Amino acid sequence: MTLTLRTARESDRKVRRGRLLPAWALLLGALAVALIGTFPYYGGTDSYVLLLIGKFLCFAIFALSIDLIWGFTGILSLGQAVYFGMGAYFVALSLKINYALEHPTRYGNKFPDFMEWNGLTELPTFMKPLIYTPVAVLCAVAIPTFLAFIFGVITFKRHIYGVYCAVITLAEALILQEFIVEYQGYTGGFNGITDYSNYVGAPFLWFMLAVSVAFLLITRALTHSRIGTVLKAIRDNDVRAEFMGYNSANYRIFVFCVSAFMAAAAGAMYAAWVGIVSYLDAGPVFSVEGVIWTAVGGRATLIGPFIGAFLVRGLEFLLSGSWFADYWQLFMGILFIAVVLWIPDGLVGTIAGWLRRRKRGTIEQIRQEQDQLAHDRQHDWDPAGAPRAGEETV
Amino acid sequence: MTQALISQFLIGISVGAILVVSAIGLAVIFGVAGVINMAHGQFIMVGAYTAAIVGQLGGNTFLAIPVAFIVVALLGLIVERGVIQWLYDRPLETLLATWGVGIILEVLMKVIFGPELYYVGAPRILDGGIKIIGRLPYPYYRLFLIGMAIIMVGLTLYIIFKTNFGLKVRAVRRNRAMSGCLGIDTARIDMLIFMYGSGLAGVAGAILAPIKSVSTTMGFNYAVGSYMVLVLGGVGNLLGVPTGGFLIGEGETLLAFKYNSVIGELLVFIAIVIAIRLFPRGIFGYHERR
Repeated sequence: MTLTLRTARESDRKVRRGRLLPAWALLLGALAVALIGTFPYYGGTDSYVLLLIGKFLCFAIFALSIDLIWGFTGILSLGQAVYFGMGAYFVALSLKINYALEHPTRYGNKFPDFMEWNGLTELPTFMKPLIYTPVAVLCAVAIPTFLAFIFGVITFKRHIYGVYCAVITLAEALILQEFIVEYQGYTGGFNGITDYSNYVGAPFLWFMLAVSVAFLLITRALTHSRIGTVLKAIRDNDVRAEFMGYNSANYRIFVFCVSAFMAAAAGAMYAAWVGIVSYLDAGPVFSVEGVIWTAVGGRATLIGPFIGAFLVRGLEFLLSGSWFADYWQLFMGILFIAVVLWIPDGLVGTIAGWLRRRKRGTIEQIRQEQDQLAHDRQHDWDPAGAPRAGEETV
Repeated sequence: MTQALISQFLIGISVGAILVVSAIGLAVIFGVAGVINMAHGQFIMVGAYTAAIVGQLGGNTFLAIPVAFIVVALLGLIVERGVIQWLYDRPLETLLATWGVGIILEVLMKVIFGPELYYVGAPRILDGGIKIIGRLPYPYYRLFLIGMAIIMVGLTLYIIFKTNFGLKVRAVRRNRAMSGCLGIDTARIDMLIFMYGSGLAGVAGAILAPIKSVSTTMGFNYAVGSYMVLVLGGVGNLLGVPTGGFLIGEGETLLAFKYNSVIGELLVFIAIVIAIRLFPRGIFGYHERR
């Protein structure tokens, strides 16, 4: 007699995996790339809107990096701006140093003016390698990734995630911000790093678009592969994933490093594009803003972070001239609450779910799916930090 | 040198007391009620503004403490009924929603009170200080802070462990469904404990107002500090709060004395991360049973 062990769920649910790149996604993507990429030719090269579009692209990649860890793996990091800010500062410092070589300060020194104001007499030795752009770019992406690796090894290996992780990363961002302000001789302090030659223009815009598309494809390939399935399993129930033999800590560390790499690259491009980096770009408020872009667009979707970043920041820009600008922060606060309470799946997630339901037939199936969704939602977001029912308290 | 060290140590105790005062409300909300309240710092800020208003109307800190407790507890009631009660099963999203609440509170306070700073004087009885060691006197207000920290922790322990209400709170925390079956109104308990925690945040604001200028952005650092205290001390055990507060306060003060405040904070943060690696649930955290 043979004994077969099979769960009910497995028998009637097969893993359906769609195409890696559906035709409509390719088409829409190409359209968006063409629309943004040709902007310098129809919108003018030195328009403010062009600057904003490049800025938003960087923000969108930043939001995508948050989406990868939060939406797909369930790690809520409130310190993602640490990696963005470090990438931005390395590139900005490098550009500033190179700019200073050609444009001496008022007293004829060939090193950044903010260092002169703070009493430094020459470029600090440890910054000298940053003169070479490749070294700076390498630093900008490698050091944050390495930092994320260290952080991941320390926390995830000990099964610290959820609320604890959010709080620790938040403190991390706050401390980096204070560090930048305190050591203004090296970082520009409150004023940030300004006045260097940046790369606004069609070529760099195309470069940023290429990077965005590459990151989108990487994320798609990653989340669509077997690794992605494991990541989602860890997000939904890490204990069960571990019982099935997956080392959830290693998966978390890996995805955290990928995400830090993306954030750092976004920061590096941001610094090169915008031409000003401030301590706020490495702070907790910016981190949380990235989380809200992801939430608005739709977490665990690929295009959601892009739509969220462009929508929220675009709205802010459109309303910046009107009386409403004073109450923008108030609007952001209400947006936080509204998104969490009413559209937890975000715009893209909600619309996609709606379309899927229309496509896929009977009322029975829909009801089943809804039940499953409600069930998942109740058990997915178990806090790691807070006590659970049945545990000792106080 | 020794004298300076001892006086720094004493200052460190009062810094720890500040942390304990601001963290105890959060310990109740996060540790006992299980809600992640990111608006905690803004609750402290509202408490401080309440103290400023009471001060301008002629009252002093002793009057401001109960007023701030009531005002911020009512604020907590509104927030709990309006936002948090829908999110008890989604903690990480509570975090985002309460962050939004915090932003709204900051903007509203700025609209109502304007961008300028408010200053609150300490009560006249607490002016001056005593000379414990060295030339610099140790201010009475810092002793008052330490005393208040002890009172607030003691009162909370008393309420949780010795009153009927505390018994119900612990019952709901341990087994919500069963307590509901036994006739405890669990939603009401959630609401009341959130109000109590918010009220403590208000008291913290009223106490901290005289040592710091009152502004709309004052809260955020207190909130992060409070969370660090809880992470180090352990969630779910109220004794973790004084322990964590003391260790962080001393660490930051002594390291700031040796290097500077930012290096001090950085080193303390690294120490906390290492401590978490050793005790993943905090020093006083319970054992995980899943």
